[in-house]
Amino acid sequence: MTADKPATAGRLSILSLASSNLFGLAAIVAVFWAIFVSLTPNIASSFSLFAISRSLGIDIVVGFSTMVVLATGGMNLAIGSIGVCAVMFAGYLMQELGVPSPLALLAALMLGAASGWANGVTIVTTGANAFVVTLASASLFFGAMLITTHGTPFEGLPPELADFGRMRWGFVSPMLALALAIGVALAILFHFTALGREILSVGANTRAARMSGVRVGRAIVVAHTLSGLLAAVAGLMTMARLGAAIPAIGRDWLLPSFLAPVLGGTLLSGGAVSIGGTILGALLIATLRAGILTLQVANFWLQLFLGLVLLCSVALDRYRGGYLERKSARVRA
Amino acid sequence: MRLAVENVGKSFPGVVALDGASLRLEPGEIHALVGENGAGKSTLIKILTGIYRPDRGRLTIDDKEARFASARDAIASGIGAVHQERNLVPRFTVGENIALEQLPMRFGFVDFDAVHKRARKFLDAIDSSIDTRTEVRRLSVAQMQIVEIAKALSLDSGVLLLDEPTASITGHEADALFLILRRLKAQGKAIAFVGHRLEEVLSICDRITVLRDGKVMLSGEPVAKVDRARVVREMVGREERIAEFERAIPQSDTPAMEARELATARGHVGIDFKLMKGEILGLYGLVGAGRTELARALVGDERIVGGQLLMDGTPVASRNVADAVHRQKIGYVSEDRKGEGLILAHSVRANLAITIWRRIADRLGLLRRSSELRVVAPIAARLDVRTGSLEREVIKLSGGNQQKVSIGKWLAAEVKVLLVDEPTVGVDVNAKAAIHEAIAGVAREGVAVLLISSDLPEMVALADRVLVMRDFALIGEVENDRNLERVSRLIMELIQSR
Repeated sequence: MTADKPATAGRLSILSLASSNLFGLAAIVAVFWAIFVSLTPNIASSFSLFAISRSLGIDIVVGFSTMVVLATGGMNLAIGSIGVCAVMFAGYLMQELGVPSPLALLAALMLGAASGWANGVTIVTTGANAFVVTLASASLFFGAMLITTHGTPFEGLPPELADFGRMRWGFVSPMLALALAIGVALAILFHFTALGREILSVGANTRAARMSGVRVGRAIVVAHTLSGLLAAVAGLMTMARLGAAIPAIGRDWLLPSFLAPVLGGTLLSGGAVSIGGTILGALLIATLRAGILTLQVANFWLQLFLGLVLLCSVALDRYRGGYLERKSARVRA
Repeated sequence: MRLAVENVGKSFPGVVALDGASLRLEPGEIHALVGENGAGKSTLIKILTGIYRPDRGRLTIDDKEARFASARDAIASGIGAVHQERNLVPRFTVGENIALEQLPMRFGFVDFDAVHKRARKFLDAIDSSIDTRTEVRRLSVAQMQIVEIAKALSLDSGVLLLDEPTASITGHEADALFLILRRLKAQGKAIAFVGHRLEEVLSICDRITVLRDGKVMLSGEPVAKVDRARVVREMVGREERIAEFERAIPQSDTPAMEARELATARGHVGIDFKLMKGEILGLYGLVGAGRTELARALVGDERIVGGQLLMDGTPVASRNVADAVHRQKIGYVSEDRKGEGLILAHSVRANLAITIWRRIADRLGLLRRSSELRVVAPIAARLDVRTGSLEREVIKLSGGNQQKVSIGKWLAAEVKVLLVDEPTVGVDVNAKAAIHEAIAGVAREGVAVLLISSDLPEMVALADRVLVMRDFALIGEVENDRNLERVSRLIMELIQSR
């Protein structure tokens, strides 16, 4: 018994397993970079790198938004709709009501969090599947946005927003730094807080978590609220990049939002998240997008590529999670 | 068919499960494989069935070297197995599950009449009355076990591996199973039988192999040449212990928990009992008497619809499990440790500390590994949880060690009332003693324990008095004077009375 001197064998092997996964992902990203740079050296230009870092920041936050609900074993198909609702709300407040931008952004974040909260509460009180609930609410939120705004963009936003979108630290956008800071906060949440650990236990075995005194419903609601908040953050970041509040924001988030965490080793069945992995997964998406853009291949190739990458990564997820899943399925049966 | 392994080794991170073990199954023989939990029996069975690949060593079928890439390979080679874990499809019927590997077809469609006829044949063979058209998820654990056995029989394999097939079935069903095993033996099948109950093992097996810590201590000895004491000595490395617990006499005025005319949504009525501080109160009853359901109601998982539940003399209002755990300090050790007692994919540390995360978090809500370990490591040491590291996933521990973890988390939570449901089912001699000692230990510290057990010797060793339940009602109480024969007789008389 080694309880009094917590041996490192187990932990090390877990670490090395996780890091070998991440290493593989990093290697794939490096290979793509090598290919793209040799085809079009332009991709490594200072401006291109800046543009990539900016969209990477958004991809990361979009990935986090899904990751936090995957942790509970759930999902959130409404992040695009929540994102665009937050954006249009902020645009309306600033352009039509002249609300100062910090206040408007704060209000938009609150709207995002409230939408996620509503998802979570609906899931917990009805006991319905997160898939169905968020599929419905995605349509509901988006419809409500179209009705209230008539789909008209807000283009007269305060200039400081677009300035933030254009801001450069060397060849890096502060948006990437913001995304990484959120990553650090999430790492602390999931590794070093009771709440985060409870969310993971609920994802790994809801029944056991409940019988251990974990407030399961609260954990699920918190995860969805957080997901909504992060979707709003990603939306507002996109708004800053475009310099306008446009109803098309968030339409193309669904695939990347799953791709980043799943590529990075977050289990679809819940109970385990990888923040570093989600960042690397987003990096792969941003790389593919930039490569296809600078190679001037038609944009729809990106869809095909991303779909392909998601399929491959899900196959990998099955292979990785397969052992545990089979084991627990047997136990439940 | 002759199946053998020679000198196989298998390691998992931090633990050597098998260290040069050998086993030789001969046609026409039943070979017992015994050892404590964690000795490597299940690992060996999983190697024989292609689920694990050995790190080293040889596997031979009829003296020719064989290699299994998957469980399917092993089945194709004529090896059938009943594993400890359930391998049934919950939403399929009993018949479909039994016939799953080789569904009878007619005109390109599944011939369901043939499916059920075939299933009936093998169920009848073990003398079981289970309806083949019932969905498996509606069966009891014991019935599922029987379906598993019938399924293994239906494969008509040359080698049959049974990993604790009698762990959860009744004596009658076990007798029927043994009858079949003898018949299969006479047909020239090679059978391996993993078991915990030595009397049972010694009575039906021809040879015995004892494993301890992954090594073979006794290799294929004819059963006639060994006696029980020798087997136990080889299993545990010392003489068998007889349980004798130091017990404090419970003394207090207010019961830690009291039920007055309690009724539950599950159908309990008029439940009255007082559970004193430091007392171990037994709750005995036949399967289906409503004991587990009562425990669930007490811990807030089932609704209480009438009467009163008092904690320390104060009535408790309606609540959920979280309230019961954190406010009233009631813990429930589930009989289903894999399904609801533990989070198998998470570490030993996380499983032990889950009940105290909220308490040990600092003012910012931050949780430090070191503060978890400060509470959890002494508990793991005290319960002698055998794991390479506290960071190891619980799924990799043996059943007995898993059970220690599922009790340990309530020690961490410092509960006032502990409800323990069948704590030693499927657990070996040494782990059982450690678990008994832990239960007696928490009672000595003043915790009130409600012990649900179908194991009468366990009840007599631990409980101060025993409540008897039948049809969701308490029908009497037996004072425990540690006289197994007398207590068993009184309990049985109560249950049989009308």
